[in-house]
Amino acid sequence: MKKIFFVFIAFTFSLVIITSCKKFLELDPPYTQDAENYFQNEQEYFRALTGAYDLLQGMFVSYWIGDIASDNTIAGGESVTDTEGLHQIDNMTHGAVNNELRSLMRWNYCGISRCNFILEPKENEVNFASKATVLAEAKFLRAFYYFELVKVFGDMPLIINKRIGNDEVLSSRRNPASEVYDQIEKDLNEAIVVLSYKSESSHSGIKGRVDKGAAQALLGKVHLYQNEWSNADFVFRDLINNGNYSLASDYTTMFSKSNENNSETVFDVEYSDGEGGGYNCLICLEGNLTPGYQGIRAYEGAVYGDGNSYNLPTQDLFSSFEYQDPRRDVTCLNLDNFISSNSAGSTYSIGGGGHTGFYNNKYIKSKAEMSGLGDNDLTSGVNYRVIRYADVLLMAAETNNRLGYDTLALEYLNTVRSRVGLPLKTLESNEKLYEDILKERRSELSCEGHRFFDLVRTGKAADVIPGFVVGKHELFPIPQDEIDLAGGNWSQNPGY
Amino acid sequence: MKFITLSFLIFFSISFFSQNLIITGKVVDENKETMPGVNIKVEGKEGGATTDLDGRYSITVDNQLNTLIFSFIGYKSQAVTVNDKIKIDIQLKPSSENLDEVVVVGYGTSRIKELTGATVQVKGESIERLNIPRMDQALQGQVSGVTISTNSGSPGGTSNIRIRGLSTSGNNNPLILVDGVVYDAQGLNALNPGDIESINVLKDATAGIYGVRAANGVIIIETKKGKKGSKPKFEVGSYYGMQSTTKKLNLLNAGEYALIKNEMFIRGGGQPIFNNTDLKVGSNWQDSIFQDAPVQSFNIGVNGGGKNSSYSIGGNYFSQDGIVGGKKSNFERYNARVNLVNSLSKKLTLTSVFLYTHEQRSVLAENGIGSVLYNTINAFPTRNIHSPDGNYEYLDEVSDIINPVAQIENTYNRSLTNKLVGKQEFEVKILDNLSFTNRLSYNYAIVDGKTFNPLAWYGSGKYANSALNANLEPVMVFNGFQYNQNSDTYDSILVERGASVSEQRATYLDLNYESFLNYNLNINDHNIKSTLGASVFRRKGDVLNGTGFNIPNNSIDYADISASQSPGQFNQNNTGSYEFEERLLSAFLRGEYSYKFKYIFSGVIRRDGSSKFGPNSRYGYFPSFSGAWIVSEESFLNFKPITFLKLRTSYGISGNDQIANFAYRALLNGEGVYVFDDIITAGVAIGTAANPDLKWETTKQLNIGVDLQLFNSFDITANYFIKNTNDLLFSPNVSALIGSYGPGGYPPIVNAGNVSNKGFEFEFGYATNPNNPIGVNVNLNFTYLKNEVTSVPDGIDFIPGASFGVGGNTATRFEVGFPIGYFFGYQTNGIYQDQSQIDNSNINQDGAQVGDLIFVDQDGDGKINFNDNSDKTNLGSPLPKFMFGTVLGFNLYGFDISANLYAAVGQKIIRNYERQQPYANQLNYVLDRWTVDNPSNEVPAYTTASNRNGVFSDFFVENGSFLRVRNIQIGYILPKDFCKKFKTNYVRFYIAANNLFTFTKYMGYDPDIGGGALSGGVDNGFYPQARTIMGGVNIKF
Repeated sequence: MKKIFFVFIAFTFSLVIITSCKKFLELDPPYTQDAENYFQNEQEYFRALTGAYDLLQGMFVSYWIGDIASDNTIAGGESVTDTEGLHQIDNMTHGAVNNELRSLMRWNYCGISRCNFILEPKENEVNFASKATVLAEAKFLRAFYYFELVKVFGDMPLIINKRIGNDEVLSSRRNPASEVYDQIEKDLNEAIVVLSYKSESSHSGIKGRVDKGAAQALLGKVHLYQNEWSNADFVFRDLINNGNYSLASDYTTMFSKSNENNSETVFDVEYSDGEGGGYNCLICLEGNLTPGYQGIRAYEGAVYGDGNSYNLPTQDLFSSFEYQDPRRDVTCLNLDNFISSNSAGSTYSIGGGGHTGFYNNKYIKSKAEMSGLGDNDLTSGVNYRVIRYADVLLMAAETNNRLGYDTLALEYLNTVRSRVGLPLKTLESNEKLYEDILKERRSELSCEGHRFFDLVRTGKAADVIPGFVVGKHELFPIPQDEIDLAGGNWSQNPGY
Repeated sequence: MKFITLSFLIFFSISFFSQNLIITGKVVDENKETMPGVNIKVEGKEGGATTDLDGRYSITVDNQLNTLIFSFIGYKSQAVTVNDKIKIDIQLKPSSENLDEVVVVGYGTSRIKELTGATVQVKGESIERLNIPRMDQALQGQVSGVTISTNSGSPGGTSNIRIRGLSTSGNNNPLILVDGVVYDAQGLNALNPGDIESINVLKDATAGIYGVRAANGVIIIETKKGKKGSKPKFEVGSYYGMQSTTKKLNLLNAGEYALIKNEMFIRGGGQPIFNNTDLKVGSNWQDSIFQDAPVQSFNIGVNGGGKNSSYSIGGNYFSQDGIVGGKKSNFERYNARVNLVNSLSKKLTLTSVFLYTHEQRSVLAENGIGSVLYNTINAFPTRNIHSPDGNYEYLDEVSDIINPVAQIENTYNRSLTNKLVGKQEFEVKILDNLSFTNRLSYNYAIVDGKTFNPLAWYGSGKYANSALNANLEPVMVFNGFQYNQNSDTYDSILVERGASVSEQRATYLDLNYESFLNYNLNINDHNIKSTLGASVFRRKGDVLNGTGFNIPNNSIDYADISASQSPGQFNQNNTGSYEFEERLLSAFLRGEYSYKFKYIFSGVIRRDGSSKFGPNSRYGYFPSFSGAWIVSEESFLNFKPITFLKLRTSYGISGNDQIANFAYRALLNGEGVYVFDDIITAGVAIGTAANPDLKWETTKQLNIGVDLQLFNSFDITANYFIKNTNDLLFSPNVSALIGSYGPGGYPPIVNAGNVSNKGFEFEFGYATNPNNPIGVNVNLNFTYLKNEVTSVPDGIDFIPGASFGVGGNTATRFEVGFPIGYFFGYQTNGIYQDQSQIDNSNINQDGAQVGDLIFVDQDGDGKINFNDNSDKTNLGSPLPKFMFGTVLGFNLYGFDISANLYAAVGQKIIRNYERQQPYANQLNYVLDRWTVDNPSNEVPAYTTASNRNGVFSDFFVENGSFLRVRNIQIGYILPKDFCKKFKTNYVRFYIAANNLFTFTKYMGYDPDIGGGALSGGVDNGFYPQARTIMGGVNIKF
């Protein structure tokens, strides 16, 4: 009996020990860092900043909307249900169920939350020399993501310097666009104070990291979108006088991989062809998908690669260029002309999503740059030029024109025109100059994702976009799912 | 376990006079084989004897009026009064009533008679007999309340096991234990059906002894064991079969295709694409894909035992080629099994189990866009497999359809698994009625995968291309800059990216230490059984993978990373790894009391702590209670036809812990990658957001059941259950504001939402004595299941599931008031026959043309809204309402015939394998399309112009009900005497067919479609189960 007793005791004892040993269950994930014990040194800040930059690569949605929604391009593609959301936007029939708009909202808020993760107050703040720069870049990015949202959706909830849970979502409201703009301006002004120009030695010199010029250009643009001409003028003037930017001499090579980061580059989204990818997660790509998507459908021939025939320039755009404007052929590829004169015998097919005879020649898959890993429709290394110095000059021209400083406005306009060898404009009237500047924006910047937003802010959208309803189509609808997920308390944009 | 003997302890004690007599004799079984180990007792006396290896015994009695009782598990006991005999030979007969059979429940056993829960046992024999390589597939239709659906019919493909319905949008797999060792449901391929002694399915709350893992039910598999004191018995079995597809789809032939496509293009305002539509039959892509493929198995086993030990050893070889792809989609398996039971001393028993598996599987792309069958269905019949220049046809017109024959040729995707599962178990008999068991079990698996991607060219613009052009030149990729002195510039360095090979090794190790006491006490009519124990479980996994580019000669012969000739800089030759670990700490107590084995009460409580849950809810308690009343033991029930009647009920709480590890934490496992200085730079980002309150899903289940036996031979079981699952673990869509929707980001996992399953189960069994020369056995089972989502988290209307078409809208949903994964889309109401019908309709359907589908205006606002969900509705559920399984068998003087049938009724399937693209081939139902001359009201007109006929509507939803003859076989057992000449005991030859007939209206390959919880019943070009015709032999000696 003694032995039995012993076994009993041992058993009961081990049972108690085992099941009360809480430590046994306190397991840390192997080799994985945790959000709560992060930000211990400079390297960790920089890695989190890299994560915040990542969402810039999802800009292709608003890039597409900028031209497809306007009179510049049609959606194209394999069929009318191929990325259906873009076709609806093309036809001004879009509603609150639209995958593209939903992605745009999700990705930009993801970018914002990654910036907030860096900027939120920390229990133990570590300090290092470049910290101010890292925080300034995070503020720039947050401003950029909010600007993407406010220009597409108008009023949007502001979440600043914190991560939120579902409870806070349910009590959220749509902050008026003016408050969103105030936050954007605050972030950009704070960033401008810290950042230096790329041309200065104090800048890291790392290609892809934003500089003071990018922040100023964006701030000027943000003022421009609110018709705050004096504020815009103040920023643009500083940028033009001190930023050390200049127009590149050759417009025709502006969009090539080899000509990245030139004197005209103010702000690019950086892409690489060094990683493969698939259609199941477009935001996961490190490559630029627009050249492949905009490539020539089932093309077999010289110079170009084959692609998905998205975002096709219209005859209207093609005809809008002035006589002998070299930018016409850089912007619009007249496919049949090209084949008959350069690549006889080439074949291509026509997508069910529409065909105009023109392809978007600024971002298009070419054999020379078709080096991306599979699927090379998705992995072009070509950067997306978000803000070029030409854009800055034209925005400054418009600003000065609106303030009545037409001489300076004309000078900026003619700087842009003379680069492509077009005759200089002369001053006839303030309004004529205004029209010239806006027309120049179309010629200079078409197929770069600006046109629709320019038409909206200048009040000209209804004149040129069939189906555009004033009072409705200036903004896009908030995705219905997002309204529902936020507890149904947000109002929809007017008309939807 | 000695419970078995209890029922024979009927205490009489009559003694007239004393006189010691020695009685001897021999015990044989129904086949006149000697039976070792049979217990012989003198009625009313202590002690007894057992038969030796030759079935002989010798026992002393003191009275001629004594009665000897012969008993053996699974056999009817016999009582013989001694009288004046001194030699008593006995033939024992198997108990046709299986009420005394032992069923394995958690940490113990129970007689079927005494069960208080809804527990079903399936004999290994009825699994093995079907010659289906996976035990779970073989279980289909054999147990009520258990739904088995197939995820893929390819060799080595997996099934879903759903016990009493889907209870979660997450993982519905039951807990599977093989000889007490946790076995992964997806890894069931590794188990040889020939090794299985019995499968015990715990369906209700009595599974609660497994606590936080029991909510989806528990399946306890016992492998074959030897018997002490028995001669070696060899069993050899083998079969060989030929598989073929059960069906080919009725696709358009070339002439029909040309006709339809011309019409489409003309209707769309274009030019006809064929000048001549008289193209006859054209090429049949299905014929070039499907093939006859062999399947074979060889099984050997030996059981036996000495005085203090028993053993069972088995081995198996199995191989199966695919009906699509042959060797490119095959499965091969080697099994070895050793079960040893050693009595180390009178009180100490050591049980050792070793199960080793080596398996190889090759797979093709399956069930989705880009899969072989998807490509086959959509390939154009007007093109031959090879174009006139001898290359594979490119099928240029559709960018995501590639030549399936070329695809198979270029696919090399193989996995190798080595798995060792086993345990060492010490049982100490402290007292006769108190035992103490300690066991250490392990499940160790190494899974190696290798995928070779040769340079391949499928035509320009194809997503699957890995080469630059048809000459299979490699793509050049950017690999940094090089300074050029001549031009003072930095030039890009481009390097070749050739064929690649990806390899992966995953190592998994489960270790489980369990320790428990079993204590029984019988005082007069009171019986107590109790179990108290603890368990420590740890699972670790370690995965390492790598890719090497530029494999020499573009050849599988060099497909290894070691052969890579890539320069190996940053953008090639990737490697990756991850590890995980999870732990579970548990204690459990079960007490059972019965009075006269007439009234039985049982209670279980388990406490589980899991590393998977947040610090705020790390431990949970899971109680359950059950009771039974054996009415037939009551004297008032004196109705002869009823030989057994039991009423029982159970109620309990259990959990489901199958979620990702560390899901409660905000981990930096998102993807935060950007490009600086043209270099891909890895940063960090939050992946899944945190939830420190995260815990298990809780299931509360009530079961009411009755077991009835009539005339000692008709067994009837019926159960009604209500199973409510709360606190569902899922990651619902959350607002964009939370910021979860970036690369590698996921919404937080929360406990919210409820699901209810209610159902009725019925089983009927009848078998004549198997020794009768003419016999019948019948098993019927029927299940009715009603699944409903009863709540979803606040602020969420539904959880979206699978999408329809390419980049199409969500077609399946998890929504309150509907079954999990129900189909949601537009309801149609015929076809617009003429323009006046469109003009006069009071419902405005945007863009409607004559010949288009008419959609139903669900919200009654006078228009069909294609921009939101207001006009979409419930189009059916992928879950069957009724399931019916039956096994019928007849035997006649050595011949036997049997059939297994399975039917599932009421489920729907989404036809999602049609590429809605102008050039893609179509099923021939489109011949019945609407035209002016053929005013169809079913099939719309086809056009390349913009229309809404392709949105997800009931036009794409089909009735998925089916009845399948799963197995039918005819066998012949050689006569005993004939066998004896060859020194064998038993020889059976048979021919059999699996899936010989399937009765269904479904147009696709196979209506038996599984899929994830929210993506069930979506057919993306499903790899069908094969029809197999086979012949085999079983020999025992």
